[in-house]
Amino acid sequence: MTDQELARDLGFLEAYTIGLGTMIGAGIFVLPSIAAEAAGPASMISFAIGGLVSLLAALSLSELATGMPKAGGSYYYVNRSLGNFFGSIVGWGMWAGLMFASAFYMLGFGQYLTYFIPMGPTGVAIAALIMAVVLTGVNYYGVKETGALQNVIVLALVGLIIVFIVFGVLNVDMETLAPFNPNGWPAVAATAGTVYVSFIGFEVIATSAEEIKNPSRNLPLSMIAAVVTPTLMYVLVMFVSTGTLSIDALATSNIPVADVAETVMRSFGTLEIGPISLSMADAGAFAMVIGAMLATVSSANASILSAARVNFAMGRDKILTNWLNQVHDQFRTPYRAIVATGAVILILIASGVPIGTLAEVASFSYLITYSLVHVAVVVMRRADPEDYNPAFQIPNVLYPIVPIVGFLASIAILLQMSLLVQAIGVAIVIVGIVWYFVYARDRAITEGLVGEAIAPQPTTATDGKGNYRVVVPVANPNTERDLLRLAAASAHAHEDELAEIIAVNVIQVPQQTSLSQDVEFEEERVERQQELLEAAQEIAEDLDIGIRTRAIVGRDVGDVVLDVIEDEQAEHVLMGWKGSRSTREHILGSNIDQVVQHAPCEVTLVKLATTKRVDTVENIVALAGEGPHAPVAARRGAELVNTTQGEGLLTLLNAQQPDEDDDPQQQGEVVIADVAERAGIEYMDYHREVVVGEDIENALLDAVAKYDTVCVGATRSRSVSQALFGSIPETIGEEVDATVAMVRGPKETTRSVREGLIDRLK
Amino acid sequence: MTDTLLQRIVLPVASIEDAKATTERVLPRLRDNGSDVLAVHVIEKAGGAPDKASVEQRENRARDIFSVVEETLSGVEIDVETRIPYGTDIAQTVLDTASEFDASSIVFTPRSGSRWVKLLTGDTALGLLNQSDRPVIVLPDDDKGGSG
Repeated sequence: MTDQELARDLGFLEAYTIGLGTMIGAGIFVLPSIAAEAAGPASMISFAIGGLVSLLAALSLSELATGMPKAGGSYYYVNRSLGNFFGSIVGWGMWAGLMFASAFYMLGFGQYLTYFIPMGPTGVAIAALIMAVVLTGVNYYGVKETGALQNVIVLALVGLIIVFIVFGVLNVDMETLAPFNPNGWPAVAATAGTVYVSFIGFEVIATSAEEIKNPSRNLPLSMIAAVVTPTLMYVLVMFVSTGTLSIDALATSNIPVADVAETVMRSFGTLEIGPISLSMADAGAFAMVIGAMLATVSSANASILSAARVNFAMGRDKILTNWLNQVHDQFRTPYRAIVATGAVILILIASGVPIGTLAEVASFSYLITYSLVHVAVVVMRRADPEDYNPAFQIPNVLYPIVPIVGFLASIAILLQMSLLVQAIGVAIVIVGIVWYFVYARDRAITEGLVGEAIAPQPTTATDGKGNYRVVVPVANPNTERDLLRLAAASAHAHEDELAEIIAVNVIQVPQQTSLSQDVEFEEERVERQQELLEAAQEIAEDLDIGIRTRAIVGRDVGDVVLDVIEDEQAEHVLMGWKGSRSTREHILGSNIDQVVQHAPCEVTLVKLATTKRVDTVENIVALAGEGPHAPVAARRGAELVNTTQGEGLLTLLNAQQPDEDDDPQQQGEVVIADVAERAGIEYMDYHREVVVGEDIENALLDAVAKYDTVCVGATRSRSVSQALFGSIPETIGEEVDATVAMVRGPKETTRSVREGLIDRLK
Repeated sequence: MTDTLLQRIVLPVASIEDAKATTERVLPRLRDNGSDVLAVHVIEKAGGAPDKASVEQRENRARDIFSVVEETLSGVEIDVETRIPYGTDIAQTVLDTASEFDASSIVFTPRSGSRWVKLLTGDTALGLLNQSDRPVIVLPDDDKGGSG
């Protein structure tokens, strides 16, 4: 694959204008009338509150986004940290919020149009519907847009608003501003909820996190700038608007800013160019309206695309069916998700819900989301998973003040909103909850980190905080227990690091079928998978070891196991092997070959004895040759002995060829001592056995026959065409009826160990 | 055909359908040749505006498409590589990749699509033909009439 950095093509300016466009788009032109009616001139404080609450959210979101710059934004962060229950709530909440917001933008667009074409509410709704259809079509067909155009539109709009503010401030009449707070502070707080819709735009930046260049710098910078700029503009626009027109005039205005602009610009008279007489008032209003229309369109456009990102991220976590996320063959767009979002937007517009209510419901959904984002940032900091290293962190003096105040402020605004809005908002939350229980709970693959954040609990079955992780692919209920027991032995040896086992089962789906399709039709296989993993949980409880289970549907078992190893940053993968070499295409089996060849961590391949169970082992032998992985094998043997409570015995075995000059017995003992020391088990009681024979392989085969468990290290560091572990380990695995564990150390260390040693066992 | 033109080819594949059609058609021409094949699926970037679909989403799809290519070409002595380049202009990106790979030719099967759609979404086939600095081989799409 090529340099992924090329996929990141949004610089600071682009990210900033995407966020800014969405923030000022509809809000700055529609909201002044709604806000002024509700809270009078004091509504400028409502905007300031909204901005402040958003700034807190932007700080928390920046930390999460730089730590996990993946598509999906808040949904992804909440799902990852708080688990599927809250993930489902936030996913549906964001989706619904984006739909309500888009409907709001589109109605705003229709209202602006009345400046050119006088029409009533029905006309506005029709215009909104048409524009919504156009935008859905644009995104369905993947019509090209250019980033440059968007920069120009948004920056021009900002310029216009600044001009408006500058001229407007000069024109403000202090008497018009009085009374400043006619409806009291509760009205101001409630208005903050209404206008919050204009602050949800910076989320669009986070949902596109995977596309942003140099995310550790540009994500926080653009989000914070995209909050601060519109906050200042909104406050000042409200100051100018309420200082220029009476509240009544503002409240009844369809396009308040245009009316204000007309009033302001009237003092500049008319511009005469030959026969054309252009009133400055008209020109000012005209420019504002055009800018506003472009902004609503770009807001709705960004929201529809954002919604598809949320759908995709939900599908990735299996909270939503991936059917929705199919990319169109020709247009390369997530057409189903776009049509679904577009359809709901049309329904919302047609339903006749007042524009203010649409805005408030969108705000409600986003306030819920952001309150959970604040919780998520705390959880992530406490759980501190290894792959989470945010480049941006909330400064120490502000942590945990920012998430705590942000959470409380979001909830406080929620509580101030009107009953109708709260009812709709809660209904959306309930949709998410019901969805979780009906659909997502059994399918979803991500688990939250809340347990790890609260307190590390070493031996709880589900949420043990794990540093030393052993991945165990399980497929066969008969061998499952023995494999887990061996994995537990390895994990127990690392108990000081709070080890845990990750049991994986993969349902394999043929190449041509879609992953989601196949699973839905094969309930039986899914059921079997559940049983297998539930059994693993029980076994782990018996063994007193932390376990997590992962049920995965995939095309290629080997790939999936490798992904899990990487994802979990596992130190060790332990797999079962049926004990016979495979066809000529594969060495030990197609999936096994792949994992053994590519896993970066320690690998143990176990062939279970047919006669004896692992839980009764007592006589363990580890081959101590000069192969690079012999110490790893010795350690594995020691781990196993340690779980037998004094019953078991470890022997280190070495084979030598007869030698006329040196005593082979003595030579063998030197090698054994060296292996024990390198394995770090020289303090243990272990037996030494040296066998001598012309044919090393046969000598070893004879010698290991009396043991019930054999541990053997890979004799080579690199797999060659005919063997993965080397021919001796594989022959032993095939021919000896004992439990045979073939081990290979982690990849990084291989090289340095190899340097000092010659492959003499061969 | 023992043409050096097919010695080292770049195979732009746009979809699973396309991958199937193109590889099946190119295969009989390659068989006795020991050719190197680079399958390319370009992820179109909006260059400053938000993309229509998540990059990761399309990378996953690219891998699905490649698996069709690899499957069709498996079992033959052909060295298949895959690459996912990113670019705002699909045709230009394919050409850049081809020159990086030092391809002897670019081979594709044109996909049907109305002129109107091509106008709005960009006509990659035309772009390849117009801008190419190396041979472009167009294989006929003989079972037209399906969905496209």
